[in-house]
Amino acid sequence: MTTLTRQDLNFGQVVADILCEFLEVAIHLILYVREVYPSGIFQKRKKYNVPVQMSCHPELNQYIHDTLHCVKPLIEKNDAEKVVVVIMDKEHHPVERFVFEISQPPLLSISSDTLLSHVEQLLRAVILKISVCDAVLENNPPGCTFTVLVHTREAATRNMEKVQVIKDFPWIVADEQEVHMQEPRLIPLKTMTSDIVKVSNGMVLCEDYNT
Amino acid sequence: MAESHTWGPCQPSQTVSNVIQNHPHYLPFNVLLFKPPPVNESMGSSQCVYFRMLYHYLDQKRKEGSARLHATYLVSGKFVENGTTSHKVSVVREDQLEDAKSKMSLTVSVHVYSVQKAVLKDSGPLYSADYDAVKENLRNCSRYSAIRCADAVPRSSAEVLQACETTQAPPPETEQIKANHSNLASKPTSKQPKGIMGMFANKNVSKNQDSSKEIKLEQKDDAPVVETSKTKPAAKTNPVSNFFGKQAAKKPDKSIKEEVEIARTSSSVVEKPSSPPPKAETPVKEELAKDAVVEKDIRSKTKRLEHSDSEEEKSESRRMKRRRIKKPEPDSSDDEVIPDSPPRLQEKRDPSPIPEIQVKKEPVAVSHSDELSDCKRRKRRRVLKSCTFVDDEGCIVTEKGYESESYSETEDDFKVSKPTPKNPNPPKPSTGKKEEEKKKKAAAASNKSTKQASITGFFQKK
Repeated sequence: MTTLTRQDLNFGQVVADILCEFLEVAIHLILYVREVYPSGIFQKRKKYNVPVQMSCHPELNQYIHDTLHCVKPLIEKNDAEKVVVVIMDKEHHPVERFVFEISQPPLLSISSDTLLSHVEQLLRAVILKISVCDAVLENNPPGCTFTVLVHTREAATRNMEKVQVIKDFPWIVADEQEVHMQEPRLIPLKTMTSDIVKVSNGMVLCEDYNT
Repeated sequence: MAESHTWGPCQPSQTVSNVIQNHPHYLPFNVLLFKPPPVNESMGSSQCVYFRMLYHYLDQKRKEGSARLHATYLVSGKFVENGTTSHKVSVVREDQLEDAKSKMSLTVSVHVYSVQKAVLKDSGPLYSADYDAVKENLRNCSRYSAIRCADAVPRSSAEVLQACETTQAPPPETEQIKANHSNLASKPTSKQPKGIMGMFANKNVSKNQDSSKEIKLEQKDDAPVVETSKTKPAAKTNPVSNFFGKQAAKKPDKSIKEEVEIARTSSSVVEKPSSPPPKAETPVKEELAKDAVVEKDIRSKTKRLEHSDSEEEKSESRRMKRRRIKKPEPDSSDDEVIPDSPPRLQEKRDPSPIPEIQVKKEPVAVSHSDELSDCKRRKRRRVLKSCTFVDDEGCIVTEKGYESESYSETEDDFKVSKPTPKNPNPPKPSTGKKEEEKKKKAAAASNKSTKQASITGFFQKK
């Protein structure tokens, strides 16, 4: 069993790549399941050996890609605490929030799972849970939009301004309205714990739309 | 075809509820996707029972109205599309069930495939739900199937390895066996179309006999000379002919085996008319070029392999007769052309069976050794032709003799070997008969040639 420290950036990059890929799949699936965009722009793709839905719209794909590209350096340095996908109505009030809590163990170790097959299995389970989450959700109002929030430390925020990739795709501090919800309901979906990363996925719903 | 049916309940709903609640995909407060796993270790029952349980549960819950459940159904039946009938199996949502059933010409089976609270927009979750279970139990999927066979026992790994080895080993052997069989088959084929080979043999015999008779009748004066002259080359070639003849006599039965061995090893010269390898051609050519009679002996002896002893005697007599005929010819420039050598070389070139050799060795088929190169298809052969001349006594004598001529492998060339022209003024009345006999012989030769051509072509095409 190989034990690596977080200082091993290569390993950190591997973890960041895995998580960013997963988050991209999850965001596309959330948009499909919650019907944020018409289902016609989605097509079936294969990820983790299971069918998933992915958007074909180039601008949407580019937006999601750029967003996660900026999140990746934070994940590498373990500065990202949460990644949140917020679905808002026309008035930019959050209707639903899909929260991905990310934490990495202090000592990253590669055990017998050198091919990360166990990690893939866990991610597959999370995807499955997202795909059937609308069983407990009501239909969203028409004209909804979405945004991605990253919960990080203040020092990391300052460092983000120096990163060129973030300069090309600037980030702003999120509004309080987008971050906090009134009387929300927390619905845990799935928690995956592996040797390299721990991801807890849950839904926070605004009570106004789910009573 | 079986009538359409729907799986019905067979167990109490309490058991079904317990099963569903204990399912790993079940969350007590909101999310539920229940799909009968391919292997139900907890229940120990087949999937068919599971479907019945699911149907019962769904029906009961809907009657109670306690939970809002959605189901997917698996529909299978005959489906006709563009004139082609096929068996279609599809998983459809409940609202699409009737539509799917109506599209099928005959619905064979409908059963509940999955039960869930959410409305599935696509089949992705159904595939993902038991993906891991399927992968883990991929080799045991039939364990909980309703189809059973007590005699079906899985093979051990050792048996599987042996089976793999046996399947791999035979191919090289089979190739050899094929070659052997091809040679061996030649024997039966030669025997089998006994008609064909026998026809050729008989005709050859008859032709030789006729030719010999004609020669005897027409060349009475030359007969002794012929005989002597023939005996000389015969004597000359006797050692060689005896050598070959002995070998042919010794191993008539082994010719096929030798062919087999040659096919296998592609080794040295085959001293027999039976199929020699291509490598042995040149040395054999040299040896065979010396002795036409030897080839004839071999021919006869190879024929002996297939025919009875009476035919062997005939061949021997034929041999004798041929020797007589060929006596004057060695003096010609066609020394290198020995009537039987080229066909023999051909034979040796081809790993061909005996009957093919025999066919090629028909009295007409002769070719130069030089022309036996693979690329050349133009060959020379000896053709029995009659030559009319005036002897010392002023008598017009028609003498039959072999002359070499070139021919191609096509049938047209064989037509060249037409019957020789008759002597318009036969010196003796007996010549008329001779001419008739000549005609017959020529006709036989032409027939043989044409047939031979066709048959050689047949064999060569192989």
